[in-house]
Amino acid sequence: MKKAILLLIMLAFLINCTDDFSSVVDFTKVENPTLSEESVVGQPNSSIIWLDGIKRNMAFVYNELLVLAELGSDNYVNTQTFYNQFLDGLNLQAADPSLRNATREIARLREMAVFGLETVGPGDSEYSKATEADYNFYMGLSYMYAGMYFPALPQEPLGPAVTAEQNYLDAIEAIDKAIELNPDQTRYLMAKSRINYFLGNKVEAVSAANQALAIDPAFDNVVNFDENAPINVPAGTNPSNIMESALYERGTFDDLQPLPTLDFLDPKYSFLSAEEDAPVHYLKAEEAFLILAEANLADNNVAAAQQNLNSLLALIETREVRSINDAIEDRSQREPGSRPDSSIVVVNGRSNLVLNRKSGEIQVPSVSGTSLTVNDIDGLTADDTGLELLYRTRQEVFIAEGLRFVDMGLKLILDENEVLLNGNISENDLGTVPVLPPFLTAVVDDLDSFTYDANTGTANTVLDVNAILVANKSSDFVLPFH
Amino acid sequence: MKIKISLTTILLLLGFTMVKAQNSTISGTVTDRNGLPLPGVSIVILGTTNGTQSDFDGKYSIVADTGQTLQFSYVGQKMVNLTIGNSNVINVQMEEDAQALDEVIVTGQGAGIRRRKLSTTVDVLTEEKIDKLPANQIDQLLQATAPSAQIRLSSGQPGTASIIRTRGPISAASSSTPVIIVDGVRVDNLNSNPTLGINTGGANVSALADIPVESIERIEYIKGGAATTLYGADAANGIIQIITKKGKSGKGTAFFESRLGVIDATRDFLKYERTGDAIFEPGFSQEFRVGFNGGNENFTYNFGGSLYKDDGFNDLNEQVRRTFTFGFSAKLTEKLKYQGSFSYVGFDSNLDYNANTSFSRFANLEAGDFGNLDELTEDEWIPIRDNTRRIGELVDISSRTSRFTASNKFTYDITRTLQANATVGIDFRHTVQENLDSNKLLIALGSIPPGTTDQASFSRALRDNFIVTGDMNFTHRASTDNFSFVSVFGGQFFRTSDRQNRLDGEGGVDGTRKIDFFPTQNALDFVLENANYGLYFLENVGIYDVAYLEFGGRLDRSTASGSNTKPLLLPKVGFTYNLSDHSFYQEANISNWISNIRLRANYGEATNFATPFAQDRTFELSSFLGVPAFSFANPGNDDLISETVQTFEFGIDLGFFKNRLNLSGTRYVANTIDALFTPVAAPSRGSQNQLRNIGKVENKGWELELRAAILQSERHQMNLSVSYNQNENNVVDAGGSSPFVTGGFTVLGSVVAEGESLGFLRGTAAVLQDDGTYEFETNSFLGKTFAPNFGSFSLDYTFKDKLNLFLTGDYQFGGQITDLTFLLRHLGGVDNTGIPEELIGTTSPFNYVNFFIFDNDYLKIRNIGLSYNFGQLSPLFSNVRFGITVTNPFNFVKADADPEATGSGIALQNGFSSGGFAYGTESAPRIYMSSLKFQF
Repeated sequence: MKKAILLLIMLAFLINCTDDFSSVVDFTKVENPTLSEESVVGQPNSSIIWLDGIKRNMAFVYNELLVLAELGSDNYVNTQTFYNQFLDGLNLQAADPSLRNATREIARLREMAVFGLETVGPGDSEYSKATEADYNFYMGLSYMYAGMYFPALPQEPLGPAVTAEQNYLDAIEAIDKAIELNPDQTRYLMAKSRINYFLGNKVEAVSAANQALAIDPAFDNVVNFDENAPINVPAGTNPSNIMESALYERGTFDDLQPLPTLDFLDPKYSFLSAEEDAPVHYLKAEEAFLILAEANLADNNVAAAQQNLNSLLALIETREVRSINDAIEDRSQREPGSRPDSSIVVVNGRSNLVLNRKSGEIQVPSVSGTSLTVNDIDGLTADDTGLELLYRTRQEVFIAEGLRFVDMGLKLILDENEVLLNGNISENDLGTVPVLPPFLTAVVDDLDSFTYDANTGTANTVLDVNAILVANKSSDFVLPFH
Repeated sequence: MKIKISLTTILLLLGFTMVKAQNSTISGTVTDRNGLPLPGVSIVILGTTNGTQSDFDGKYSIVADTGQTLQFSYVGQKMVNLTIGNSNVINVQMEEDAQALDEVIVTGQGAGIRRRKLSTTVDVLTEEKIDKLPANQIDQLLQATAPSAQIRLSSGQPGTASIIRTRGPISAASSSTPVIIVDGVRVDNLNSNPTLGINTGGANVSALADIPVESIERIEYIKGGAATTLYGADAANGIIQIITKKGKSGKGTAFFESRLGVIDATRDFLKYERTGDAIFEPGFSQEFRVGFNGGNENFTYNFGGSLYKDDGFNDLNEQVRRTFTFGFSAKLTEKLKYQGSFSYVGFDSNLDYNANTSFSRFANLEAGDFGNLDELTEDEWIPIRDNTRRIGELVDISSRTSRFTASNKFTYDITRTLQANATVGIDFRHTVQENLDSNKLLIALGSIPPGTTDQASFSRALRDNFIVTGDMNFTHRASTDNFSFVSVFGGQFFRTSDRQNRLDGEGGVDGTRKIDFFPTQNALDFVLENANYGLYFLENVGIYDVAYLEFGGRLDRSTASGSNTKPLLLPKVGFTYNLSDHSFYQEANISNWISNIRLRANYGEATNFATPFAQDRTFELSSFLGVPAFSFANPGNDDLISETVQTFEFGIDLGFFKNRLNLSGTRYVANTIDALFTPVAAPSRGSQNQLRNIGKVENKGWELELRAAILQSERHQMNLSVSYNQNENNVVDAGGSSPFVTGGFTVLGSVVAEGESLGFLRGTAAVLQDDGTYEFETNSFLGKTFAPNFGSFSLDYTFKDKLNLFLTGDYQFGGQITDLTFLLRHLGGVDNTGIPEELIGTTSPFNYVNFFIFDNDYLKIRNIGLSYNFGQLSPLFSNVRFGITVTNPFNFVKADADPEATGSGIALQNGFSSGGFAYGTESAPRIYMSSLKFQF
């Protein structure tokens, strides 16, 4: 009996021990080190961290859009294989993953803003009006990019394709909410001005531009890029500036080559620091002045337009010009010397448009640069010549910022996966097929073309795209105020 | 007195006998039925622990007593017991044992089961064959020696990944590399770059490079389907099991081997001879191996160790390998037996940038970055060559791996018919990869302006992979007059923890590898953890000893599955019928012609588990300019489960002329259901893509093998084996997802799409029309990356058991490859070979990519070897063997590029790789190796 009791005690002891001991032999326990929803929602200050995530997502949006937009326009041509192979020829293919990535990032920007507004914000004890305003602003931006770059794009997961115009209208609505919650933010007002500009709403565009300039006549809002943060968080993204890589960082790979008339503005983005990549100046005061000038030209108010452009020139004077070593640029590596690469070259009869990169540091504007002069402004007219000068200036000021593509009336198409997987979208719906200005598709092969004689130092672009745009100003595709 | 005398006499006699017994040395020669000497025959005095082994000439000697019994045993021969009589010389001629020749297969069976009872096929590589091969990497050993596996080395650089396949690509979600098991313990088989690994552009460090291959007794290779059902999770690509030596009882033996070699780059695939002039530099390899083994009836042991070094075929590659292994077997009690093995492998290598990076010297030269090298004048060429060499001196990419593998196996005979087996073991692999891009290197590469001193970057990738395996089963054997039964019931688990860290430093000065000396530092972290476990059972019923029915299954569970899922039940059933084993058949005349007829059929299921954690909905937190930033990450999938491969196979094995000619044929149909795809999410979701069970992949094919003993005389023996395999792969269902690119580019990619072979090549083809113009057809099918036909062959000749000559090779045909190097040359205007004039310069080369696609047919001789046994040259050695081998001597290919060297394709950890792109990758070199082996 005693033995039995002893045995029982020992057994109880053993079991008691093994209970705690089980973790030692439990081979099925695994732990995912990443975050779950509980770590994100309902935590103090999570709305700010979420907002910073949205700002980071803006980098992804620009990384996807800029290369496409700059190649699709006449600004840049791709001479290598690394970046998109289709956009130079405006060959819009539904299977092109660049289109998929661009639409995905626009959608992610929206989904993040929505999750912020609906879930993260309300769950955060420290949620502020400014943060809520920003969530609305980024939702508006998502709709704005949808309108700028696509004939139609869904506004919700697997939703129907919404027209560009409706996307613009919804963008204004969201941004108005942001303005209501946090007035006097130049980026909200400039975005509102831009959207109204593209909608052709002259009065509203001018009003918002003036409000923004009233807050700060030299405002400059940027999308930041982190040179150092890990890539693929989330999968398929890169927080460093891809356009900077294409123009500068990839060194010997002279991937993207500018139109010779724009040589002096390249590369807008260059090495900044090991931590931070050059930012994209996406909503800056220059745009407000250019919208005002165009509105004034449309109203035949040359003097006012001249004043706008003089303010623009004065502003550009104050913008940073970076001194960089770009000796690696060969214009191009594939065929060195095949493109204008010396300051003696005269392009389209104009000099000083090409830099000599092999002899020391070069000076390149990192925010805005232009070949526009006071004399040009003095001779401004309200006719087509004046408009051509204005569009040339827009092209120069906004180089590598993705606006030239929109100015040319170009738009992308939906990716094949959206058509296949989204029950609300069928083949041949608006947005699934290219909608491009016929006056550009007719000359698409020559958009980036030029002739160059290195011996005489003369280069001529085959087309004057600004003249083509202005000649077609009555078309719905371009010059929204005309 | 009488009694006294008698006692004395007896004592004297006894004493005499004892003295005689102590002095009596029995000797003799053991031969096989052809009269050829049999080395390594175990000779034991029954009832004692005394024993010895026959030497290389079949000779033995042992001290024994008259009346004692000597037992002679040797694998594949009938055991012989002889009582010692008056003669001190006992010569033995052993006879082949049909039953014994029928080897015992352990892999995939739970317990050892004779091959003739199995309905599944298994490829076996024996110690003897392995010993002859110069390679010391498992994939290279199996290349051209495993009849139904195809192994393509994706790069010639040391220790880099390979593409292994048997029954076609079964999964779009994971690598086709089989599970590798050493003495019942799973080991790390990552045959790609780790997620946080150093990106060299192409050459990816593989875990297969440091799997212990010392002291191998045999390798068993099972190819999926019913053979792998009992392993459940992750076994669908097949299993390679390495069984190490545990020593043999008897006289201790030892060997010392020295291998010296010259490694010379192959120029067979170079576009420009000058590329080779700039980069290639013959290297030397040295290896020293030692081994000894021995033991007695209750305890046997084996030790092997080696040191290896080579300095590669180019100016910067180098590899060093240090290994030791030991194994032992102990009979603890009459019922309990313990087998243990342990190995350590240290593998260090230096790599060059390869393929898909602007830093790759080889790719840049071959892709025409400096124009047509052949057309450059000496004055133009020499600075390029010198800078290329200078870059070679400055490239600094290294990998250092330490791997420890240990296995413990306990066998307990509960009764005479019931046995319990338990295996537990671990594999731990630690790898440090480093990459230092100094300012000097970056300047030489033209990446930063001369004079820069603060742009050096340094990366260190650390990976620890720990696997623990446990298996416990009970085996019951029973038989009646007409039936035999083998029953196995058990449970198995394995658990893997893959922990990776990466440290990146930037903005540094030259001369340091200390991460904190770099002004900007970054750290990354990656973890994969999963456990797979299950219960299995197997019943093998023998019917009249000629037919066998087997059935069983596994209940399988993986932690890499969603919360909505249940354990998977994986059944297997098989039948085999040895027609020629009937006595009526053996008595019939036909048995003289067709000596063996065996029919087999089976059905079985095996799985590939999903990527661990892919089922979870997660968020990410990243630093963004110094502040934390959240974002969405994996969308999550509660229904995620392993993909299941359902295989049906049937086959026939025929032996002719007393099995001198053997033919084996197998037909298989394998369907991967719930196939794991990561389809592109609808972009409007704004989310990452999610791994889902939406597809169906079909593989159908034939496996044919011929083995012939062409010569079989006392003096000459010649064996030939040839295999041919055919595989037809098709994505039956892609779950409604659009075609997605798994390698290459959008405009020219390796694609997964419904109705096509996995990873087929797709791009825009320029098609000549009747009117002489070209039509550009986008998304055209351009070829299968996996050649549908492949096989291997080997020829082995032995003269008088002294001289041996062998040759191995393999081939493939019917597939295609993209010559990306050519495409880049063409883009650069350097090379227009074969491109129609009308197309050049009139449209983008991406509109006529069909002109860069070539057949990936090849026939490669992998090894030619010659060895000679000098026998007992001195009393010190029982044998001295000298051998020479040439590896990769001949390559016959259809394309200009090497269809095998497709390194840039295996970048994703454990990812699917089709290897359809030849780009800037050095091919496997020629290796001339001599070996001198002293046996003691």
